[in-house]
Amino acid sequence: MMNWTKLGKIFDPTEHQLHNNCKQFAQSPQVLVLDKCVRIYFTTREVEPTGKYLGHVAFVDFDFDFKNILNISSETVIPLGGLGAFDQHGMFPMNVLKHNEIIYGFTSGLSRRKSVSLETSIGLALSENNGLTFEKYKKGPIVSSSLHEPFLVCDAFVQHYENQFHMWYIYGVKWIKGAEVDGTESRVYKIAHATSGNAIDWVRNSELIIPDKIGDDECQALPTVIKIDNRYHMYFCYRHATGFRNETGRGYKLGYAYSDDLINWTRNDEKSGIELGESGWDSEMMCYPHIFQVQDQVFMLYNGNEFGKFGFGLAVLEKN
Amino acid sequence: MFSWEKLGRIYNPQDFVNRPEWMDEFSQAPCTLILNDTVRVFFGCRPKRDENGQYVTYSTYIDLDRNDLFKVKAFAQKPVLSLGNKGTFDEFGTYPLSILKNDNEIWGYYAGWTRCESVPFNVAIGLAVSENNGESFERMGEGPVIPYTPEEPFTISGPKIRKFNDKFYMFYIAGKQWYLENGKPEISHKIRVAMSDDGINWNKLNRDIIPNHWDKTEAQASPDVFYANGKYHMFFCGWIPSSFRKTKARKIGYAYSTDLINWVRDDSKVGIDISETGWDNEMIAYPHVFKLDDQIYMLYIGNEVGRYGFGIAKLRGDLL
Repeated sequence: MMNWTKLGKIFDPTEHQLHNNCKQFAQSPQVLVLDKCVRIYFTTREVEPTGKYLGHVAFVDFDFDFKNILNISSETVIPLGGLGAFDQHGMFPMNVLKHNEIIYGFTSGLSRRKSVSLETSIGLALSENNGLTFEKYKKGPIVSSSLHEPFLVCDAFVQHYENQFHMWYIYGVKWIKGAEVDGTESRVYKIAHATSGNAIDWVRNSELIIPDKIGDDECQALPTVIKIDNRYHMYFCYRHATGFRNETGRGYKLGYAYSDDLINWTRNDEKSGIELGESGWDSEMMCYPHIFQVQDQVFMLYNGNEFGKFGFGLAVLEKN
Repeated sequence: MFSWEKLGRIYNPQDFVNRPEWMDEFSQAPCTLILNDTVRVFFGCRPKRDENGQYVTYSTYIDLDRNDLFKVKAFAQKPVLSLGNKGTFDEFGTYPLSILKNDNEIWGYYAGWTRCESVPFNVAIGLAVSENNGESFERMGEGPVIPYTPEEPFTISGPKIRKFNDKFYMFYIAGKQWYLENGKPEISHKIRVAMSDDGINWNKLNRDIIPNHWDKTEAQASPDVFYANGKYHMFFCGWIPSSFRKTKARKIGYAYSTDLINWVRDDSKVGIDISETGWDNEMIAYPHVFKLDDQIYMLYIGNEVGRYGFGIAKLRGDLL
């Protein structure tokens, strides 16, 4: 059994000045641990005159006890793509990995479609200034829809284990016709796994690695993996495909699985050790978990109610 | 210079009053499958525009008498491939189609069309298989077999599938940059190649293989490759996008290669041009070269990008 202690909400975007005309949302917090601070990237939203959103990456720097904000990004961290590009209409989220002194940013780019609201693909960007800004590797995506992964490829989380890069990500398996929620169609997506020697060319087998708990229409998102002793632990969020915004019990919760070989995963949400709050900012929804280590402690960042409109919080793993 | 003798137009949709509604207009990008006493010609067709003035495209075929290619014996009873499911890459079009005999099956590579918000469309190449000589195809997967990649960010189209020396070669076109022409998004494509051992997993060469001839902004399409006399001969078509709407000029170009990778362009050898009058006096485009009973022919489309059908020319002499 994992044992987490919640430390509460640590960042509310509406209390700060953000760039790119962003005012609300700090979604999918993900870290780059630097020498003197923890840089937490998140996606915040610019509202276009049409009412549609553009998702921009921003960051906030915390000290190592997460009590003090040292800095907030004041300019564009990574620009959105140009006309027709896979990331023209937003990036949500960005996962950052430092490996062999190279800082990689794995973005999930959004572009708008006509028959459905959007399509997504995974892009690569690199930073040469400790993560202040990122330059795109190329104009196109490194992982996008393919023969058996027809759409909505996104939510990359990358680690380097056992001499290669591992990416956990999601892809869409279906758009549900006629099941519209708040004007957007419902879709179902699941977690998959890819490997790479260079972080650019990825080998995929399109297998779904995490069993469903609430049926075929379970949506699984944002996998995050950490190795503790000799076991790999994965957290992710999952929800029902419909009614997830307003209906009790159908919104995002955290799921948990473990593996000893990076291939076979055993799902066991009962052992996750973290649940919805009884009241407060994470009482209706928990989503977009991100697990990382600072010094000797393991932490989890996550969003709460309203998909992170009013920020994110933190939990710490108790040592058993 | 090659010497092509135009034999005339084979098919004009308007001449066939009983054609199905979904084959109402156009006959684009023909390609052939030679059967016992029939030459089956696949091409792209369109029903009338929908209420919003937009087209979908299908692939279809007509059967020609092998001994008299001007005799249309039969039509496809329905589109050879359905449109893709909601949200897939080929929801609004499945053309052009290029086919290859692969053991007892016919493999069809096709361009799938989706509609976007900021630009009119995006295109990727899919794979479908037929077990009945191309009367109907089933998708191998719901997503594209040639996906978007870092150096080919969008609009990957116009596949021409070939097998030489037990290796699969795909010649196709890819777009690099959308730009605004009088406020309207336009794109220009260049010819590319990818290689595969199994027809499913592809390695892209990642560079333009045909040098520009008319202008650096020229668009290239329909890279049709034919082997004869120790050389690979490519006939394709090209035009200059900025002048196209005024001049309507699309012309056929030519290049040759001994290794399928390095190509020498020599349009002076092509030996076929627009006519002075008639159905192909403004443009000739989308060439397809094939051999039937020891004679080499070229199918090509005429004015308004095939709105009024395709015709045939016969090679006098040899491809040297």
